[in-house]
Amino acid sequence: MSGWFHGVAFVLCLPGFAALALAMERHQEDRFGHAFAPSLTRRLRVAGWGALLLALGVLVGAQGWGLGLVSFSGHTSLAAGLVFVALLVQGRRQA
Amino acid sequence: MNAVLHRALRVGPLLSRIVAAMFGGYGLAALASVAALALPMSKPQAVLTGMLSSFAVFAGAVVWVFAVRSARRAWAGLLVAAVPLGLAAWSVWRGGAAS
Amino acid sequence: MSTDKPAKKSPPKPRGIRQSMSDLHIWTGLLVGWFLYAMFLTGTVSYFKDEISQWMRPEIAHQAQVPDAAVVAQHVADKLRTEAAGSPQWSIGLPDARNNVVSAFWRTPGIEGRRAFQSGTFDPVSGDKVAGRDTGGGNFFYRFHFQFHYMPVLWGRWLAGFCAMFMLVAIVSGVITHKKIFIDFFTFRGGKGQRSWLDAHNALSVFGLPFHLMITYTGLITLAALYMPWGSQAAFKTPAERQELSVQLSAFITPAKPTGQAARLAPIEDMVRQAQARWGRDNIQRVNITLPGDAAARVTVSRGDEGRASVSPQYMLFEGSTGKLLETKDSVGPAAETRGVMYALHLGRFGDTATRWLYFLVSLAGTAMVGTGLVMWTVKRRQKLPDPDKPYFGFWLVERLNIAAIAGLSIAMTAFLWGNRLLPLDLPRRSEWEVDLLFIVWGLALLHAMLRPAKRAWIEQLWIATAALALLPVLSAFTTERPLWRSLLAGDWVFAGLELTLWALAALHALLAIRTMRHSPKPKPARRAAAPVATTATPAGEGA
Repeated sequence: MSGWFHGVAFVLCLPGFAALALAMERHQEDRFGHAFAPSLTRRLRVAGWGALLLALGVLVGAQGWGLGLVSFSGHTSLAAGLVFVALLVQGRRQA
Repeated sequence: MNAVLHRALRVGPLLSRIVAAMFGGYGLAALASVAALALPMSKPQAVLTGMLSSFAVFAGAVVWVFAVRSARRAWAGLLVAAVPLGLAAWSVWRGGAAS
Repeated sequence: MSTDKPAKKSPPKPRGIRQSMSDLHIWTGLLVGWFLYAMFLTGTVSYFKDEISQWMRPEIAHQAQVPDAAVVAQHVADKLRTEAAGSPQWSIGLPDARNNVVSAFWRTPGIEGRRAFQSGTFDPVSGDKVAGRDTGGGNFFYRFHFQFHYMPVLWGRWLAGFCAMFMLVAIVSGVITHKKIFIDFFTFRGGKGQRSWLDAHNALSVFGLPFHLMITYTGLITLAALYMPWGSQAAFKTPAERQELSVQLSAFITPAKPTGQAARLAPIEDMVRQAQARWGRDNIQRVNITLPGDAAARVTVSRGDEGRASVSPQYMLFEGSTGKLLETKDSVGPAAETRGVMYALHLGRFGDTATRWLYFLVSLAGTAMVGTGLVMWTVKRRQKLPDPDKPYFGFWLVERLNIAAIAGLSIAMTAFLWGNRLLPLDLPRRSEWEVDLLFIVWGLALLHAMLRPAKRAWIEQLWIATAALALLPVLSAFTTERPLWRSLLAGDWVFAGLELTLWALAALHALLAIRTMRHSPKPKPARRAAAPVATTATPAGEGA
């Protein structure tokens, strides 16, 4: 199926940003009441960045550098936006 | 009368900055686009380089005008930037007229 | 100035750079905000302008397969021999997956300037002039986006450029004001109460920042020749010199001097086939023919958008009367290529469907960014009004213009599509009437916004937009042979996709209407200077 790489990129970017967000102390406090152990935080950060880089690789591999970078920019904007909105909505609910 | 004078004195620097940003900023950008012709590349490429970078010069100039402490400094900054650009642009006009 | 900064640990500085950048941001945003909103929204929908055009010509069947560009080019060129007889310059746009018609334009001999062009729409299969309703299609939104309407084209483009320059300043000043955002990327969420508008505006601005900055700057680049002609004027004195520049920018070559010697055009089909061999069967964009029928005729066949993020000219140049290949232009200089890439990034035509949707969604976010910014201005200042029911003129004006510029525009653009379905097919100047209808409705929206209480006006207009959008597919089902269910069954994703999107947009407007209904303005807080009020003030009622 053509365009499969878009699906893969989305599925990587969304959890990627979620992991990066959760790797921030403030969110750990807000959601779970305490900060995570530093090793967990580090792993989340690695996983997050790793997922994003993997998404970049998939897109560039499928579309070449020019189009791949543009797609990557779109995917990261969208995924980051969705994670941000989710955090906002959650924060509002908890309040 | 005093109230009007006070108003004018307060608004004056702001108006000055607005003029500096809009006209000075655009002017600097235009100057930069001509100065680009002095770059060591073929004329069409130089013209395009000037065009492409001019808007960044504009935005930078506007931010400068409102970031500095006084309207006077705003203008001063623009003039200082205009000197090297003006020199480059002038050399282009001269060179252009000759060729 | 009211506090819109995130919680600062240190005491507020006396009018530092962030404050002045904040003021600059607010002013540049407000002064051109309504134009920017319209530019953003029409620009957003323009990413699907070809699909909109298809939807607006329901008599023309869904194109299941892209016809062979070579055959189409030949058919249309043959037609133009009569249709555009005597014209020194023809330009034929070739069909692609998103266009089921061929647009061609040609220069009318003997007339100078902008009015010198005539255009026509042709059926790609038969080559005949299209037998569909007279409509401008989605191209109206596209042109409005950078040159507005009811004004000379140059004025419109200058106005758009002026607004874009202000937008650029707004972006840069916005970033400087909130530079903390980049440090606390995800933690920038204000949380409760009145900060919801700020949250929304900031979220939309930050996440789309790469896009917004890119789209604004590249937008300026697309018309840079108009806004910054000085370098070109300084460098090039003769038309021949200027040609040096224009070949770096486009495939439109100036016609040579006509020899007067008649010579039949060689088969265009063969020329296009050579280009297809080079770039792909469906990857041909245009065929331009200068001096057809003359011995000095030239034909350029240019490469399509697919697979390349640049609009820099790539074409094959043929001798018109013999079909001999004269030149293959494959590259331009580095600055020209940079411009080509920037231009392409703005247009977004190179992308596949998913990329196009990403463009659409992020651009929609940009539209919402401008909209939330405009609304935020009134929300913040409403608190400071001594009597909220009797605001000062400036506030009243901004508030009412916001309603008309935001909710009213949705209604107006939908009315445009309603007009496409409802206006009589034989109405003279039909395509112009479709546009006039949009502006008439927009004007009525402004009137409504001025006459009703502000909150009522918002709610009523948002609900009207909801209804107009939701009922449009229903209207279309009754006025055409292509109801939604049939499109879905036939796999016609252009029609189905568009109508489903209309419903999604209707839902969005309904959501906004409901939130506005639930929103009750904050009770007047105690007048405290800079210190941000810790939240006890507004538990409930802040639905928005």
